[in-house]
Amino acid sequence: MKVTFGKAIGDALKEEMRRDDKVLMYGEDVAQFGNIFGLTRGMLDEFGPKRVRNTPITETAIIGSAIGAAETGLRPCVELMYSDFTTVCFAEIFHCVSKWRYMHGPEFKLPLVIRNASGSSNGAGAEHSNCVESLFMHAPGLTIVTPSCAYDAKGLLKSAIRSDNPVLFCEPKLLYQAKQEIPDDVYNSDYTIPLGLADVKRQGTDITLVAIGLMVPRALEAAEKLAAEGISVEVIDPRTIAPLDKDTIYASIRKTHRAAIVEEGNKTSGVGAELAAQFQEELYDELDGPVARIAALDVPMPYNIPMEHYSVPDANNIMETIRGMF
Amino acid sequence: MKYENDFLLKIHKELLEMRLLEAKMVDLYAESRVPGHIHSGMGQEAAFVGVLATRKPGDYFKLAHRVVSSSYLVGDPLDTFFGEILAKKTGNSGGRGGINHTGRLCDGVLGMSGTLGCDAAIPVGAAMTIEAEGRDNVAFFFAGDGATNRGPVYEAMTLAADWKLPVVFVCINNGFGISTPTEYSSPVPNVMADKAAGFNMPSVVVDGTNVLETYEGASKIVEGVRAGNGPAVIECKCYRWRGHFEGDQCAYRDGAVTQMNMEEKDCVKNFEKDLMDQGVLTADQIAEMRESFDKEMEASIAHAEAAPEMTADEIFDYLYV
Repeated sequence: MKVTFGKAIGDALKEEMRRDDKVLMYGEDVAQFGNIFGLTRGMLDEFGPKRVRNTPITETAIIGSAIGAAETGLRPCVELMYSDFTTVCFAEIFHCVSKWRYMHGPEFKLPLVIRNASGSSNGAGAEHSNCVESLFMHAPGLTIVTPSCAYDAKGLLKSAIRSDNPVLFCEPKLLYQAKQEIPDDVYNSDYTIPLGLADVKRQGTDITLVAIGLMVPRALEAAEKLAAEGISVEVIDPRTIAPLDKDTIYASIRKTHRAAIVEEGNKTSGVGAELAAQFQEELYDELDGPVARIAALDVPMPYNIPMEHYSVPDANNIMETIRGMF
Repeated sequence: MKYENDFLLKIHKELLEMRLLEAKMVDLYAESRVPGHIHSGMGQEAAFVGVLATRKPGDYFKLAHRVVSSSYLVGDPLDTFFGEILAKKTGNSGGRGGINHTGRLCDGVLGMSGTLGCDAAIPVGAAMTIEAEGRDNVAFFFAGDGATNRGPVYEAMTLAADWKLPVVFVCINNGFGISTPTEYSSPVPNVMADKAAGFNMPSVVVDGTNVLETYEGASKIVEGVRAGNGPAVIECKCYRWRGHFEGDQCAYRDGAVTQMNMEEKDCVKNFEKDLMDQGVLTADQIAEMRESFDKEMEASIAHAEAAPEMTADEIFDYLYV
């Protein structure tokens, strides 16, 4: 069957709510309205108003209440609509969600998921287009997940909901409509994908390209074209940004001896900055050249759509950078 | 209101023990035996004891940085309490959290945020669990007048009111947010109670230095919340005896006013006087209680001081567990 990324998210939520009556879902405009992208349509009818709840515009209370509900026995999966709105409740996520278990002791479990729609989406502007993974990589204790395809999105969200650690679940908006062919029996098999496990999306021998979220399909497109030019690119999707699956990524770099990171977020202090630093610290002798960072320009996302597209890496930008590494 | 002696004695024991704990922490800090800061809650104990005299098993508590011994009040054993404050492995998080993070979930303590106010909605979430399980419990939120100026408090009140959840919002109004007087920071005299109407919540303002008045005011409010009428507000007026933290010289306020409050509004001394006047308790009994609890505290402090500290190989424990 052809499944969109957005449908996979909705199906993961429904399946987990059917499986475990402790799971509940709430946020702004998720009930009757069915989420601003339509992902949660029909869930109110199936699960009722206590498990699928609209909140007022109260992001700090959405996050705070999720902590209280999670530590007392529920498994809330809350939604913050745009990823940009994590900044409205930054302290609640950065201090409370991330640090709560550490500060209060192992008795305090925190099975909560914070879903957010991330990245650019054709004219959403500077306050509705951010990627926030790198902001929260600075918060030990938080698991950060960014899927890149429908199959992964479903399996990862199910694992996130079943985890006793808090998960920030970033959904690249431009992927919501992206379709993937998945056999029916596989899609409906209640599969999960473990958190903290990267996936080699394409095997290669000349360079390791770590790609995140929306950049994964673009990296694969670039890799395909570069293969024709004689450059063999291994594309790795970390899927879980924190904690990072270093084993898979490092094994690849030890094989290819070159590395680049491509992300949708801004370049400065981005995910790539951190990964590049880790690679040079821990794999210096394995590297035949500098680690490249391919990322969005350091500008507030322009509202003008051609300029929005210009500021975010595409397959051509990726190819150009990689060609320059040889 | 007429009370059974057993109830009065229980209240007195809680009040006295909290006072002795708050005083003991001041002493420990003065002797450089506490790694972090101490925000002494001396003078404010009756607000917690009075409100929490309404508690029942299964209730949840978001306590406050002042008075931290409230976690002992709701069940934290002294060994665990001092273990956390002295940053030892015997503390509830083995010394990772510290003085603002004492307490156990098994007692209903939900934890607290060192960034005051960020935790306001945590009892709202606990109240969702209460609602989902159909219990007649409540979740208490305690904060000072300073923290109640913060946005997250009002978002929490909004959500609790919209969903009619069993949350009791308790403001301990001690007159100061660090150095800033409440009259300066708040346009209304009752910083939370005067705003309750905006959330369609009932409220009560009590003298938080009078334990029975606090209990009586709180009882009516908590009863309504337990009955499913939705959240409500209790504001306890009191006075912060000591500085924001130990070492604060309080140059920003009139020492004579502080002195007057300590002499005339001492919640422990005044309650003891009433009980002695009524023949419920004698001065000798009080002295004996003080001595006995002091021994208990000293034993727990000695236990904590002798306990091991976490080591470098354990520093990542409790992360991604």
